[in-house]
Amino acid sequence: MFRITVTGGKGGTGKSFVAVNIALLLAKHYRTVLVDLDLEAPNDHILLGIDKLKNEEPIKLFLPFINTSKCTKCGVCAKVCDTGAILLPSGAYPIIFPRLCSGCKACYYACPYNAIIEGYHVLGYVYRTNIVIENTELTLVTGVLREGEEHVPPGVNYTRKKAEEIETDILLMDTGAGTGNQISIALKNVDLTIIVTEPTPLGIHDMSNVLKITNEMGIRTWIIINKSSIGDTSKIYEISEKYNVEKIYEIPYHRDVVSSYVERKPIVIKYKNSPITRVFNEIAQSIIGLVRSNGK
Amino acid sequence: MVSSISQLEIVIASGKGGVGKSTLASSLAILLAKKYYLIAVDADAEAPNLHIALGIDEWDIVEPYIEGRIAYINRDKCTDCGLCADACQFGAIEVRNGKYYVNKWICEGCYTCSFVCPVKAIFFERDIVAGHIYVKEKTIYGFPLVSSEITPGRPNSGKLVTEAKNKAKKIMGSKKGLILVDAAAGIGCQVISSIAGAHAVILVAEPTPSSLNDLKRIHKLAKHFGIPSMLVINKADISEKYREKILEYARRENIDYLGDIPYDENVPRSINTMKPLLEAYPDTEASKAIRRIAEKLVKIIDNISEWRLKHLPAKIEPFIPIIIKPGNNIVK
Repeated sequence: MFRITVTGGKGGTGKSFVAVNIALLLAKHYRTVLVDLDLEAPNDHILLGIDKLKNEEPIKLFLPFINTSKCTKCGVCAKVCDTGAILLPSGAYPIIFPRLCSGCKACYYACPYNAIIEGYHVLGYVYRTNIVIENTELTLVTGVLREGEEHVPPGVNYTRKKAEEIETDILLMDTGAGTGNQISIALKNVDLTIIVTEPTPLGIHDMSNVLKITNEMGIRTWIIINKSSIGDTSKIYEISEKYNVEKIYEIPYHRDVVSSYVERKPIVIKYKNSPITRVFNEIAQSIIGLVRSNGK
Repeated sequence: MVSSISQLEIVIASGKGGVGKSTLASSLAILLAKKYYLIAVDADAEAPNLHIALGIDEWDIVEPYIEGRIAYINRDKCTDCGLCADACQFGAIEVRNGKYYVNKWICEGCYTCSFVCPVKAIFFERDIVAGHIYVKEKTIYGFPLVSSEITPGRPNSGKLVTEAKNKAKKIMGSKKGLILVDAAAGIGCQVISSIAGAHAVILVAEPTPSSLNDLKRIHKLAKHFGIPSMLVINKADISEKYREKILEYARRENIDYLGDIPYDENVPRSINTMKPLLEAYPDTEASKAIRRIAEKLVKIIDNISEWRLKHLPAKIEPFIPIIIKPGNNIVK
């Protein structure tokens, strides 16, 4: 399995736009799974024109329950809990606050009396939708956070694990905005990361923070400068050299992008001859070259 | 100022990234600071950009944010049994050539691995510099800015956002004023920390299907907290169809519509000059629109208590966790 992660730091640079279009091009040649790991704002299905996600399963996080016949009220569980989800009122059994619990399971393993039983807390849902667009088949795995829940990293881990169970040639992961550990979970153990940025001081600042992670993790990194015509790209080339970026592609600002976006038809399908589609074809060809040299 | 609430907290949020939160925040801050004592807070600790939009490159105060732990495996003791990797709920333990390592960009330091390790091979680095809080006491526009930045790969950026907001409140002290918070994209811990305790949320959307989808999600979060919302539509002319859909949603949900900002090529130009749009291009169409929005906002702020009563969410929808008890009984 060849693993690719599309990320970027700043929001709205075009991560999902890139992920969806590349996934469709790769799906013509290989079994491809697109994984939407932006649990807070999952939009890949919207760009693909899908209204109803299929095969819903809950994202289950561990939640402690107390077996009162074993619990001695020793307080170890409350002590090891980092998120303040366990309260030990004097003389009473521990009280659990589900929304605060990150599901880390430290209390479960720390309890000296095996008094903690495994229950779950539903963080959100993971979906698996099979898509066919113009004879191209693609599997979309989508993680969706319930509004009001906040523990995104274990949810990203859960969603990725679900996607990894599918037998496929290519696993293409699309992340949310940011640079926290929910992004690193999507970056570990991948063959290629594509950073989507824009030529503005904001895009460049956030891109640099992502490059620090990919560079130290030793991941092969490419950059796509989206809306490349709106600013000066030279700074991006300069920084890229410092962080061993292998390839840089530019996607200029183009009205085809907006109209395909609003019509919910990916550009590589809607405008096959658009200059933007040409860039995507070039990127897909380079990826296919890499996949082949990896022995597929 | 501020009729009945002496310290008002207003948050700019959108769910979707890149719709123009920081552009709006930087220009609104300049306009509102002329009327009120204002402190701006950048609550996007994972991608802080407000200081760039305001052209700030030097800080008056830089405070480290010490939080969390990172687990390490003592290779001399480790027997590579893999129990730690199975127990870790974050996927932070990797195996390379049969040997186990902790990925320090993922580890939250929760101790779980150390409890399952049969040979006590796991130790922790403590007191990690997980980020920084930055303060500019007086920007060239007169108001203070508090910013936050998490170290890439660290968890709990929401806690850092809470610290940044507390810092702003400390600077405000007993003065009357307005705290304007520029939230992160998404609806996770950073955004929850941003809107918790706020008096109003300004939702920013663009007329695209993704933005509409994310607008509904962030608005649901505001409703969980019982916070009334306003709406600004940015790049309003890129799709009449989706602009209408967004307005329809706002009407149905009792969201107060503040106005449109048209797509304007001077917006990216101003970002590249590191000046707020209002300063770089005061007479461009988008600047005029932001001025109109600010005028409406001032009227709201001056009558905030009445406004809040009128625009409280139509239905109170508290957050209810879904729990699966041992034995698989789902409890709602």
